[in-house]
Amino acid sequence: MRGIIEVENLSFGYYDKTILKNLNFKVMQGTFLAVAGPNGAGKTTLLNLLCGLLKPKNGSIDIDGANVESYSVRELAQKVAIVRQEFVPVFDFTVTEVVSMARTPYLGILGFEGPADKKHISEALEMTDTAQFASRPLANLSAGERQRVFIARALAQDTAILLLDEPTTFLDLKHQVGIYDLLKRMQREYSRTIVAVTHDINLTIQYCDETLLLGGDSSYRYGSATDIFSSQQIEKTFGVRTFEGTVGKQRFFLPIGKFAKANQITNGKS
Amino acid sequence: MAEILTPKRLTIKVCVGLAVLAMVMCLCALVGTQKISLERVFVGPGNEPGQNTDYEIFVGVRLPRVILAAIVGAALASCGVVLQAILRNPLADPYILGISSGAGLGAIIAVLSGLTWNFWGGSPIAVFAFAGALITVWLVWCIGRLTGKAQVTSLLLAGVVVNAFFSAVIMFLTAIAKSEQVFSTIFWLMGNITEKDPLVLWVGAACILTGICGLFGICHNLNVLTFGEEQAKGLGVDTEKTRIVAFGLAAFITAIAVSLSGLVGFVGLIVPHGVRLVFGPDHRQLLPISAVIGGAFLVAADTIARIVVAPAQLPVGVITAIAGGPFFLLLLAKYTRKVGWLK
Repeated sequence: MRGIIEVENLSFGYYDKTILKNLNFKVMQGTFLAVAGPNGAGKTTLLNLLCGLLKPKNGSIDIDGANVESYSVRELAQKVAIVRQEFVPVFDFTVTEVVSMARTPYLGILGFEGPADKKHISEALEMTDTAQFASRPLANLSAGERQRVFIARALAQDTAILLLDEPTTFLDLKHQVGIYDLLKRMQREYSRTIVAVTHDINLTIQYCDETLLLGGDSSYRYGSATDIFSSQQIEKTFGVRTFEGTVGKQRFFLPIGKFAKANQITNGKS
Repeated sequence: MAEILTPKRLTIKVCVGLAVLAMVMCLCALVGTQKISLERVFVGPGNEPGQNTDYEIFVGVRLPRVILAAIVGAALASCGVVLQAILRNPLADPYILGISSGAGLGAIIAVLSGLTWNFWGGSPIAVFAFAGALITVWLVWCIGRLTGKAQVTSLLLAGVVVNAFFSAVIMFLTAIAKSEQVFSTIFWLMGNITEKDPLVLWVGAACILTGICGLFGICHNLNVLTFGEEQAKGLGVDTEKTRIVAFGLAAFITAIAVSLSGLVGFVGLIVPHGVRLVFGPDHRQLLPISAVIGGAFLVAADTIARIVVAPAQLPVGVITAIAGGPFFLLLLAKYTRKVGWLK
């Protein structure tokens, strides 16, 4: 069965350094995929490759049955939306203006939004709970609120695939969970395929169907979050010991640093 | 949900702006050392030359000059808007990429060479300034591309370096030139709106208006481009194409404006900022409204330059800088996008 994202023998590096090597995986439509790994492992690079911003050195990426390079920028923006990390614009655009930019790939020559575009914008603002500050300038919002606005923009883009680069960074606990609930809803109700770069292993286990764990040494593992994550794997990949617990059948991991209080409780054992 | 800009709302705003511009142009054309009456102007030229001097001054002298000021103001303000967007730099103005020094160098070469021919009604200064501006922009673009594809920073740096180099050459040429030649060049460098050959005026106006219409076609892409290359591509904007169109048209329009009026400073910087403070940064309305307000601003500034030390005249650039600065500070203090009824 054909996946909406198919990555074959993908390799990429900057200058002489190889970041991704012979990466192979397939993401079916409506899957929630987490991309995890240490800093510099190539998570953001992978997102940039998936949205056509970077070109693979070797291998291929197919999006919805065609090579990513065969799409025009406009066509690709109708299939893939991306939410990047924290960003403050140069000029003072309001929240509505920022979210309405999502409709750019669908606009005619004069660039004005029609009723269908306005419906998408309005729904995205409601879904992300950002309608309350729709007329405020983006720069006047907190980092977490801004992140929700950019997620609203990606939703208003109405694409089958949603790429998110650390979507819950800067968000408080309520909004972290809120964003993951929202993404899960988008996956279930609208069959969106979601690829999220994340550092939160516990949220990954709770919400994601599949996990791509990049090792930082060009190695990788792909599978269900439950299969991928163990204390040993986390220590191998991230160099951090964790305390492993369970809530019902769900596992969770508590990272334990040298001076952490939990270190004393567990006597330095995972 | 906050209001999204619609063509209807934009049309209303631009029409109101055009009405204000028309009023300013009409009023300014009536003001001058020679008092004229609007009633007499409407009577018409009469049967013989000199029968109705009010009409002749209004239509033959002041109106072309007012129209010239309006199109130059519109050109500089709209180019300021576009360059601030593509360079993602609020301090950008139409001259940031070396156009001013290139045009200035062309102008001083024309003066020193003593040429007196006429090209389609354009003086050697105008023609050389136009050529100098375009050659400089092309040079800056080529240097900017040499350093890689992320052009914004390299373009700015190339512009600064070329500006500095050409300014040094201008100073050298000014130092070795005769005093009467220096005087006319300096007046031109400070921005000088004078009566023009009708052919030059209308051809210049047509080119500038066509260029502004072309820029309007990429305004929505400019909105997205202010968020940077990566975000713009992710939202379906062909950033390279948009940048080439924006840069090319802005350079062409500015070169025409410079050849018509010399280096009128400040309009391309403060008008876009003033309009942005009041109406917001959406380029679909920022560009046309800035063009209209820029036109009105320069018409008013030129009128002050005509009358403030009459019968002598000041270079209009002096007035735009003196009046524009405090006016901009006033806007900055009063509005920080709080004027909901204007948006």
